Amino acid sequence: MTVGVMERAGHLPGLSADAVDWRTLTFRRGAETLDVAVPVLSEAQVAELATRVRANARIYLKSRTVAEIAATIDRAVARLLDRGDPWRQKAERLLPLVTGYDAEMVRLGLTGYLKTFRGPELRKFIAEDFANPAVLDDFQPMPKGGFARAFGPELLLHVWAGNVPGLPLWSLISGLLVKAGTVGKLPSAEPLFAGWFAQILAEIDPKLADCIAIVWWKGGDVAAERAWLTRADTVVAYGGNDALEAIRARVPITTRFLPYGHKISFAMVARSALDAGKAGAAARQAAYDVARYDQQGCYSPQTFFVERGGRVSPREFAGYLAHELDALGSKFPRRPLSMGEAGSVASWRNAEETKGFADPSRALLGDPAGSWAVAYTDAADGLSPCGLNRTVTVVAVDRLAEAVPGLAPYRAFLQTVGIAASPEELFALAGALGAVGVTRLCALGRMTAPEAGWHHDGRFNLLDLVTMTEIEGSAERAADAFAPYTD
Amino acid sequence: MTEARLVEELLAFIAAGKADEEAFNRMALAVFAHQFETNAPYRRFATQRARTLRTVKSWRDVPAVPISAFKDLTLSGRPPEECPHVFMTSGTTKGVRGKSHHPTLAVYDRSMTVNFRRRFMGEHDRLRMGILFPTEQAMPNSSLAHYLALAKSEFGTDESRYFVSDAGLDVDGAIEALSRVEATGEPYALLGASFSVVHLMDALAERGRSFALPPGSRILDTGGFKGQSREMAAEEFYGRLSATFGVPRRLCINMYGMTELSTQFYDDGNEACPSVKSGPHWIRSRVINPLTGQEVPRGSVGVLVHHDLAHFNCASAILTEDAGVEVEGGFQLLGRADGADAKGCSMAVEDFLKAARAQ
Repeated sequence: MTVGVMERAGHLPGLSADAVDWRTLTFRRGAETLDVAVPVLSEAQVAELATRVRANARIYLKSRTVAEIAATIDRAVARLLDRGDPWRQKAERLLPLVTGYDAEMVRLGLTGYLKTFRGPELRKFIAEDFANPAVLDDFQPMPKGGFARAFGPELLLHVWAGNVPGLPLWSLISGLLVKAGTVGKLPSAEPLFAGWFAQILAEIDPKLADCIAIVWWKGGDVAAERAWLTRADTVVAYGGNDALEAIRARVPITTRFLPYGHKISFAMVARSALDAGKAGAAARQAAYDVARYDQQGCYSPQTFFVERGGRVSPREFAGYLAHELDALGSKFPRRPLSMGEAGSVASWRNAEETKGFADPSRALLGDPAGSWAVAYTDAADGLSPCGLNRTVTVVAVDRLAEAVPGLAPYRAFLQTVGIAASPEELFALAGALGAVGVTRLCALGRMTAPEAGWHHDGRFNLLDLVTMTEIEGSAERAADAFAPYTD
Repeated sequence: MTEARLVEELLAFIAAGKADEEAFNRMALAVFAHQFETNAPYRRFATQRARTLRTVKSWRDVPAVPISAFKDLTLSGRPPEECPHVFMTSGTTKGVRGKSHHPTLAVYDRSMTVNFRRRFMGEHDRLRMGILFPTEQAMPNSSLAHYLALAKSEFGTDESRYFVSDAGLDVDGAIEALSRVEATGEPYALLGASFSVVHLMDALAERGRSFALPPGSRILDTGGFKGQSREMAAEEFYGRLSATFGVPRRLCINMYGMTELSTQFYDDGNEACPSVKSGPHWIRSRVINPLTGQEVPRGSVGVLVHHDLAHFNCASAILTEDAGVEVEGGFQLLGRADGADAKGCSMAVEDFLKAARAQ
């Protein structure tokens, strides 16, 4: 059965659909099939689009205030939050089909995620990076003297990856807030959402939408990639390190390159959170972090360090976690896995099981169908990646702080730590974790939902995109001499 | 049944030339009983899966050991110190090598020679061979080195020789041998690791050399590229192989074997890729969903399980990490079933280990 007509992905201002070649990506879920047509642009079309987006941004976007742009984004996001809106309904219908994620999980996830882009939240984004947001609109006095203004790139290229629904919105909106002409490359695993957002913007403010192109090329298509990479002022790219390295090699040296590589995240549960009343809630929140988007996010936990000495032992906590994962499995079933993914889960489980033969203190809890698994170890194991798709390791430690030095080799890959601990423990651990490269600490249950204005991988969402133009005090003072009113 | 008796029966089983379902079952249950009784880690493994001498009724019930277990467990019926032959996997992600212990190579060698003659030699009793792999002496724990040594001693002419040594690939030696047979018209067999074949082809290309080997010549490659040479798609690999050596693609044969097996699979050439692999009557394969262990519907992609009766001392049923699909006459290999197609930005095991190694 096919759902509706073929869905056309992307957003190509000024190019007629007939003039463009389209390729079909087919998504299947059970008996349902969805064909998504993605644009395949010629070099001439790339050049044309790049020039147009650049010019439109120069003429229109740069003339808007950041507050006006934020207001337009807010209106678009409001439509996506409105369950009666046709765009929202389409997203709820098609995204589960494309990504395989459970429909209810997608629905809840979208709402939670989109809320971080409402008007007030957008102001947080801006305020996080700019003490005086007006610096994006006009020259502002600087504490050191003189004036400065922040300019976003004229052409900002986003190379998106992955299938977590809506993920491209983060950098897309960041770019718009700094008034960047925007070209986004759709991820093949979820090629719809970014294009929809551009089309919603087009319904609200067509001129603003003309400053955005949402395109596609096949990952690894060197010629297509180079055509775009050489035309952008700044490139934001997501993906594995091999993919990023390949992109970086093709980015001109004069182009700013902002890579976001794959990351690993984990959680820590202190004994203070392990009394009989609190441990259950902690396990429930922990399980939610694991189940949400089947651990595909860089913020998804793969290991839980659990402190000994609480009323609930680490081994018991592993049991709680297993129970909660089992319960979540019926509420939000895991998406169907590809054979490769199933193979990863199976080989992780098999390896854990085998280790258990040699070391009886290890345990592997899981359901027979393999839809989740919790490995438990008493040994001083460090951080280790699991098989993803709802598989985790619980590592018992005497003190949480003891787990930190072992993390140091992975500095470049650490991201989020979900933490359940008392205030003193939180701040003591935060210092140690930050020193080994962790960039985000949050509550259990919030790992997959970063708050608005989050400094992704410890970087500045907006500030990294802009260049400052400064009018030094000397220019200002010298100008005085040339004023008509000068004595 | 004693080990000596089992070995005798296995040799007879191989010699029988064929086996129906019932015969295979009978032999498989005898081998399982031997492994269950003599191999404590395997017994624990099987018992945990509720597979015991009482519950296992058919070869399909025999629990398959994941190949990763060969790294952590000593799966040997005979105490390892009594096994003069130990084959180990090549470098692995964690630096731990999987081991297969062999108290005797009688069954391994018979399995290899009977099958090799049928699947590779064609009408020839012996062929002049060039081997692109180190010798058995240089790599005493390599099952492939042993396999190739056996090919050379049992099926190679006296002029056969190795082109890989401590000094690396002997390109000049290979060119000389290839030129000679090109001139004399003697059919030639080139055998070796796929990555060595790539290295040789690259070296020949650099010198602008190619050959038209005499009719009847053939090539055997095995093992894939394993990061030792650049990856090459099968279609390109066999296209170049045929063009470089003048051997038709139907005589470019790929062998699929593993340290954790005592029997090899072959295709009937690579005119079309992926080719269809099959093994002799003493090995059977299933395609399963690795998470549930259930067989997938015929024609669906799954992970391969091999049941190799010749691997009697270790574990005859193994769960591989190779994706495959059952087709008429055998199965097609579809690469590794690992996280290479991960969809998110969450770091997968392979990347993590690579990162850890780079430290």
